[in-house]
Amino acid sequence: MSLKRTALDRLGFFFIGSEASKTSASISDSGPDGGEELEMLQVVGFGPQIVREVDMEIHGWYDTELVFKTLDKTVPPMITKEFSGLASIESNDGKWSNLEFELSQKVIDLDRLQWMANYGLPDGGGLRATTWKLLLGYLPAARDSWEADLANNRSKYFALKEEELLNPSTLTQRYETSPSNKLESVNDVIGFLRRNKISTGDHPLSLSKASVWHQFFENTEIVEQIDRDVQRTHPSMKFFSGDSSVGQKNQMAMRSILHLFAKLNPAIGYVQGMNEVLAPLFYIFSMDSDEKNALHAEADSYACFVRLLSDSVDHFCKHLDNSSVGIMATLSHFSQLIKLNDEELWRHLEIFNKVNPQFYAFRWITLLLTQEFEFHDVMRIWDSLLSNPLGIQEMLLRVCCAMVLCVKHELLSGDFAENLKLLQHYPPIDIEYILHVSEELIR
Amino acid sequence: MVLVLALGDLHIPHRAAELPAKFKSMLVPGKIQHIICTGNLCIKEVHDYLKSLCPDMHITRGEYDEDSHYPETKTLTIGQFKLGLCHGHQVIPWGDLDSLAMLQRQLDVDVLVTGHTHQFKAYKHEGGVVINPGSATGAYSSITYDVNPSFVLMDIDALRVVVYVYELIDGEVKVDKIDFKKTATTQPTH
Repeated sequence: MSLKRTALDRLGFFFIGSEASKTSASISDSGPDGGEELEMLQVVGFGPQIVREVDMEIHGWYDTELVFKTLDKTVPPMITKEFSGLASIESNDGKWSNLEFELSQKVIDLDRLQWMANYGLPDGGGLRATTWKLLLGYLPAARDSWEADLANNRSKYFALKEEELLNPSTLTQRYETSPSNKLESVNDVIGFLRRNKISTGDHPLSLSKASVWHQFFENTEIVEQIDRDVQRTHPSMKFFSGDSSVGQKNQMAMRSILHLFAKLNPAIGYVQGMNEVLAPLFYIFSMDSDEKNALHAEADSYACFVRLLSDSVDHFCKHLDNSSVGIMATLSHFSQLIKLNDEELWRHLEIFNKVNPQFYAFRWITLLLTQEFEFHDVMRIWDSLLSNPLGIQEMLLRVCCAMVLCVKHELLSGDFAENLKLLQHYPPIDIEYILHVSEELIR
Repeated sequence: MVLVLALGDLHIPHRAAELPAKFKSMLVPGKIQHIICTGNLCIKEVHDYLKSLCPDMHITRGEYDEDSHYPETKTLTIGQFKLGLCHGHQVIPWGDLDSLAMLQRQLDVDVLVTGHTHQFKAYKHEGGVVINPGSATGAYSSITYDVNPSFVLMDIDALRVVVYVYELIDGEVKVDKIDFKKTATTQPTH
């Protein structure tokens, strides 16, 4: 008989006997539409044992020998706070091999990849980098076109850099084709140096809007701001710190990316905090075990950064703040989400204590939670954010809501100042638990 | 890409009230990295004004400068170029290119910037280049009354210098440029 396991089993939940069937019945009842009838597995003995049955449909996170079949991904995993520890016991290796298998397909099943990524991607190697690139739509699903696409995009990036980021000095050098500028001969001739007309009429002190020099100086403020922020990004990490030469190289790359983005999107320009959103992307791509990918991390990060921000770009536009797409609208949507899931908490927070989501969630949302958790945890959160089929913003709001719910107890017992302090310095809570809570929310 | 403003012989307030308005509107802080001034400002207010355009200012003494503590000559290195600065009234005959060339070799610089004649000049000899930015206010000189306000902006980029010459002719600002390169091996041999 072909047995089907529920997702519970991947955590080592083992049910014996009739109690199991009762639980299974409740699970299948609560399962979403289209869920298949689940039968419980009878196991001998206690402790995490892995039963190998080739025709079982499983989420084979921990058994590399089992064949990965179509998953019943409609069943929500039941992770409780206590067992989230167990979730991390499942080996990285298990995740790795299944992911590798998926990524080695000729045509990658993005739905499945999304589903897998939602449970967390393995660290190390290049799997996370590749998965993120796929999830963001930078790499196409068809593996064969990766080489060509990547080469194309990377060269586009360099061309853009050339075009936009050159200083006016070098630019004018390139455009000077007038025959009267005979640089070589001037070197040998002794005598009065000839004054030449400027073919473009452009000069460094020009105040005309069309002048490359003028535009360059207009940008210096943005450049300075970017520079300041880049230097402040994760100073404790060697990768980003300006003390090491590798850190300086990385800082330069990040500067170029942010500057280019600001130049090409004058409506948004550069907003403080974009460096934080860029940091995880750039880090993961640079740590790719594939050397070629790591080398081109800058170009890839730029493209993915653009894609990542395209979702939330309206949040950065000041004049859209109060419109239906701006940050205020998102915050009120967030507030409604809390209300929907826990009216008591919502009432306490917003009505009683007047803790407006603006005060704490603004940073959570615009910076995609990069400032609220350890770097490593941020990666895990982003795995779930990027893999959600409803989009990054939707998932982000859910995670934020879950964050609030997880500290419900502390919030209910605090006043305005205490609540704000707690939410603005979010306490370290197991990230898997928060993600689980976010999955369970009422939509 | 380093922008260096070279100007001098303003003779404020004795022979001119202030910089021409069109020049003033172009000279805004934040664009220029260095200012080299040949001298004859003559008062502290002008010094302060130039300092506000750029904090890194170098100046040598002209014969009418009220601050007697400016040096007679100055040398500085910007990028790959060695620049020399001297007002020029000390070099006799005034404005004589051979004498200036001697001063340049003495100072051992690639580009010598001098003034005093209130006439723009850019001359090349084996030792290097001599640039006279003229008078920024168009003040009359010891030699002539016919002076057009002028100054010079140098764009130093590695081994190449682009000299932008700003001159006020009949109320209009005319900008020309001069390109020259320094070969890495060129050294004044004397």
